[in-house]
Amino acid sequence: MSVELDVFVGNTTIMDKEVYQLWLNGYTVNDAVKFRIEGGVMEECEASAEVLLSDTMDQYRTFQMCERLLHHPAKLANQLLFQIPPDRQAMLIERYYAFDDSFVREVLGKKLSKGTKKDLDDVSLKTGITLKSCRRQFDNFKRVFKVVEELKGPLVENIRQHFLLPDQLAGDYAAIVFFANNRFETGKKKLLYLTFQDFAFCAGQLINNWTVGAVDNMMEDMDVDLDKEFLQDLKDLKILITDKDLLDQHKSLVCTALRGKTNVFNEMEANFKNLSRGLVNIAAKLINAKDVRDFFIDIVEKFIEPCRSDKWTSIDVNLYLTHYTNSVHILDTFKYHAVWTRYMGVIKSCILRMYHD
Amino acid sequence: NWNCWRLQDATCAWFTLSSLLDILTCSTLSAARSQHSLFFLSHNLSSSSSHTYTYDPVNPCVLMECVPPCSDRPGFGEETPGVPLSSGPPTPLRAQTFSSFSPSKSYSRQSSSSDTELSLTPKTGMGSGGSAGKEAGPLKVFLRQQTQSALEQREYPFFTLTAFPPGFLLHVGGVVSARSVKLLDRIHNPDEPETRDAWWEEIRQEIKSHAKALGCHAVVGYSESTSICEEVCILSASGTAAILSSRFMQDGPLDVEHRLSRQPLCVFSTGSERVEGDMGSSASLGFEEVVSPGCGFCHIPYDELNIPFPAQLTYCYCCRRYKVPDVLFTTIDLPTEANVTGKGCLIQARLCRTKKKAQGEGNATAISNLLPFLEYELHTQLMNKLKLRGMNALFGLRIQISVGETMLLGLASATGVYLTALPSPGGIQITGKTPSDITYEQHISNMQKKINDTITKNKELYEINPPEVVEEIIGSPIPEPRQRSRLFRSHSESSDEVSELDLSHGKKDAFVLEIDDTDAVEDIHALLTDFSIPAGFYSCNTEIMPGIQNWTSAIQMFTSVRVFRLNTNLTNQGLNKIFSDLCENLLKSLYFKLRSMVPCCLCHLNFTVAIPEDELIQVAVTAVAMSFDKEQTLENGKQSGEKTLIKAITDEQLQFSLELNAETSSPNPLSSPKGLSDVGSHPSARASSVDYSSFADRCSSWIEQLKLKAHTIRRGSVKTTSSMEKASPLPEGRSRSLRSNRSYSGSSVAVVKMTPLSFIPGAKIIKYLGIINMFFIRETTSLREEGGVSGFLHTFIAEVFAMVRAHVAALGGNAVVSYSMKECVFMENPNKNQAQCLINVSGDAVIFVRESELELTSVQPQSATTQTSNGGEGT
Repeated sequence: MSVELDVFVGNTTIMDKEVYQLWLNGYTVNDAVKFRIEGGVMEECEASAEVLLSDTMDQYRTFQMCERLLHHPAKLANQLLFQIPPDRQAMLIERYYAFDDSFVREVLGKKLSKGTKKDLDDVSLKTGITLKSCRRQFDNFKRVFKVVEELKGPLVENIRQHFLLPDQLAGDYAAIVFFANNRFETGKKKLLYLTFQDFAFCAGQLINNWTVGAVDNMMEDMDVDLDKEFLQDLKDLKILITDKDLLDQHKSLVCTALRGKTNVFNEMEANFKNLSRGLVNIAAKLINAKDVRDFFIDIVEKFIEPCRSDKWTSIDVNLYLTHYTNSVHILDTFKYHAVWTRYMGVIKSCILRMYHD
Repeated sequence: NWNCWRLQDATCAWFTLSSLLDILTCSTLSAARSQHSLFFLSHNLSSSSSHTYTYDPVNPCVLMECVPPCSDRPGFGEETPGVPLSSGPPTPLRAQTFSSFSPSKSYSRQSSSSDTELSLTPKTGMGSGGSAGKEAGPLKVFLRQQTQSALEQREYPFFTLTAFPPGFLLHVGGVVSARSVKLLDRIHNPDEPETRDAWWEEIRQEIKSHAKALGCHAVVGYSESTSICEEVCILSASGTAAILSSRFMQDGPLDVEHRLSRQPLCVFSTGSERVEGDMGSSASLGFEEVVSPGCGFCHIPYDELNIPFPAQLTYCYCCRRYKVPDVLFTTIDLPTEANVTGKGCLIQARLCRTKKKAQGEGNATAISNLLPFLEYELHTQLMNKLKLRGMNALFGLRIQISVGETMLLGLASATGVYLTALPSPGGIQITGKTPSDITYEQHISNMQKKINDTITKNKELYEINPPEVVEEIIGSPIPEPRQRSRLFRSHSESSDEVSELDLSHGKKDAFVLEIDDTDAVEDIHALLTDFSIPAGFYSCNTEIMPGIQNWTSAIQMFTSVRVFRLNTNLTNQGLNKIFSDLCENLLKSLYFKLRSMVPCCLCHLNFTVAIPEDELIQVAVTAVAMSFDKEQTLENGKQSGEKTLIKAITDEQLQFSLELNAETSSPNPLSSPKGLSDVGSHPSARASSVDYSSFADRCSSWIEQLKLKAHTIRRGSVKTTSSMEKASPLPEGRSRSLRSNRSYSGSSVAVVKMTPLSFIPGAKIIKYLGIINMFFIRETTSLREEGGVSGFLHTFIAEVFAMVRAHVAALGGNAVVSYSMKECVFMENPNKNQAQCLINVSGDAVIFVRESELELTSVQPQSATTQTSNGGEGT
């Protein structure tokens, strides 16, 4: 004796948020039923396990049928098969494209290729996220990447329009795409303390300031690549460390401004040349794709770690960087003010974000 | 590989039979939903002073069944003018619709004689012909005779409608039904309808005679159905015997009366005291007895001294003047004017009976022998469950009997209510057969206590607190302590039980259950363990739930299908339990799924059972969940409810204004830019100019049209409505509001509501766009890949919905009303990785406008209503 067939179809498609989440998390129907029972839905509605199973199966089927539409969210609003209220559609899309921070940290900056996908079972083991869910998230990244790769115009806007995502999520996807495209290294041990949101913030800064689209909206190029011209120009900043006079002048200006304002003034003074050399070298090297990949590592190694070992607070860092940046403009012989501002604006906010006390 | 088309004999009728029949069947059923309109049609017609009105009341069915499909065809009438209605089919079209089996030599075993008694609802009450007749005087007798003769001219005075305008239904006798078992393989020329016609003829005659036996001249809420397994076919028909008002029936120009009869309509549409208006008109004429409309239909129509069956009668608890039965079963919707105490609920009786595999005649005999018991037990279950809920009447009763190779399946669904006019039902008393055993006695008293508790609990749940009245029992009064009803229990296997059936309905104390075996215990357990409906939910299989009126606009129509595979070698009891659990679990699932809509009511819960294969039971449900506002229900429930109903009715009135407009204003009514609102605002002017004779002509020409169309359609394969509807653009104002509706949703896909009911809560239907009637067949050869049978059917049903919605949207509509899934035949062959499914759905495409929007955007329709009513009061 068994139920051979059991379907429920509503004119307005019924979707339970809780079951949807369980499905997205990659649980099997039986596991989902267990979770629901533990969740206490049975007491709430006087249901039996049997009813719960039937309901869960139904919903899973519905989600599976919807999944291909969710791959192209714009289609969800225009399809005829399921009558779903707009707010529900938004919920479905948002949750489908939501991802786990722990998962994204694993693949951030990696090539979204078949090879990476094959390693997902390791990721799954490591993060405790089901393989199914990992695959969905990975495929989402890949899909978004594929679509916006070819598109012109602002990256975040493109993602938001094509995938109907809320601003925050679109920004996150922009970061993922940006990282994947530039292959930034994020998996090194030294970087492990950084969260995805830290990287997403930095990506936002880079996208908004260092890409072609950032300076010229009319440019028929995209936000995904860094502005080559700018990177070329960054080499000119080398003068700040190669020119002995300039370096000393710069140091004295900064130290004068900082004196008495911080507890770690001595360390700052002692480290100035090292730190300045570090930052300017990062800038000068960015023209090489390989060094772009190590951008975050370099920042951590060349700047954040020395500061941390000297026990700077974020306030100290902020103070230091502000004066470090501004003092350059007082130098008479320095001519690359625009490039310097564009470079240091991003570097400063990235370092501040990445500098965890 | 449709080896499955063993259903062929039946279904082929259903397929090959011209689409005309499909359309008519469909329209019939649709009509049954949008009933009010039909009557208002005749109402409107009769209320005019036109003498040229030649609409033939002898064939109202013809007219009625054709109205909805034609609702949007302006040019229809002109195309074949001058065809008098009387030239249409002499019998109601239903007759042809169903005469679709082709026989040659009929072999039949009728179980009708036994059915008759059973189906007459044994406790229905007794006749009034004598006493009531005397009281009302000779005029009433005359009237009745006149009505009767008007109806009797008809071959079958049957109405498939289930709801009627107030005052139309004078008395309701009870359910009448007839069944007949036939062998399809004995038909030599299956293409000819003669034999099938003869079969249905027999059944209809029987129904007619049952109605007569109950003192009634008409049958309302009438329906016919078949169940086929291999070569055996069960034909079933059932309806509610009733006496109808002559006002709506008489032919000839009855100016005075009709003009007066318009009064209730008009008062009605304003939403004020329609009840009094109705009474006033009939009372002033003295044509009909002065009865309160809230209880009149409960009064027995038959002769008290000559009841066709034993029953307990009391004086009506409302008016105290006429006799009423203690229980009333009907197949119609609860009349809107009925006085009801508390709320109603869905009551189901489920039964499964094993049967030996047999062939041909032997099989037919076996089935025939089982049927009476099956029906009796279903009835018993219904009765017990009704009493357990403390209610005294059933509406919308639908009994389905399905036949399989090794079993018979019976499912009876109805909506139980407490009619204020009827006496309060007694309790249920259990007695043991062997009172010697003390523990046994203990057990029984425990059970008795449980039953009593359940009844008390149910009364609370359904808010049944009838006003206390002094008992007046006619016949043999039962002493107070013993006044309990008996828990019916029958053993279909034992013959002495049958005789008990006859004896126990006498005037002795009935309704005692003897527990003589374990089955009985199980039965009572089953009775008690019928799970209670979760808080916040109500359910019914009728259009609306008595006692709930404040519907919000949230509706959710759904279809659920379950197929259950049985083990072999099950006992009757085991089978019963499985079947019952299947239905219960399905209901539970529905409640669970729809929990977010609480408080809500599942309306029009329509169960369909089938035995697709030997060990499979298929149950399909289509219903609509509608949320309601709890707070307001408590405060001003009744009033607002009446408003809703009134609105629904006036809506449908507009449907006719539209029709008449099409006829009269100009050959191309669409040239009038304001469309229907224009018509609505000048009702009096319009009425005087309408030539009703041409209306009748038009009706018959519609029929011709339909036939013609049917021929065309039969040749093609598409069974949907014609393109004619599409040709009619929306009136300007409407299309604008619709467009705004759409843009509001923010997507390019228009939202289309679907409901099996005839109305949409909180909305006004401003235009009917015609019938949607679609057949779909889907086959897969990759069943596993599509997620198994469930995945396959899930997708298919979702697609059927989508196609219906798309079709409606294409017609310019935004809702489907009276939606129903008529057929869902599912077959699978998992070994071959194949499955097939056939689905037939139908409904009426409409345009509706939210009442709130209506108030904001257009005031025209409202002013129209007011004007109508003003005019009415003026006369």
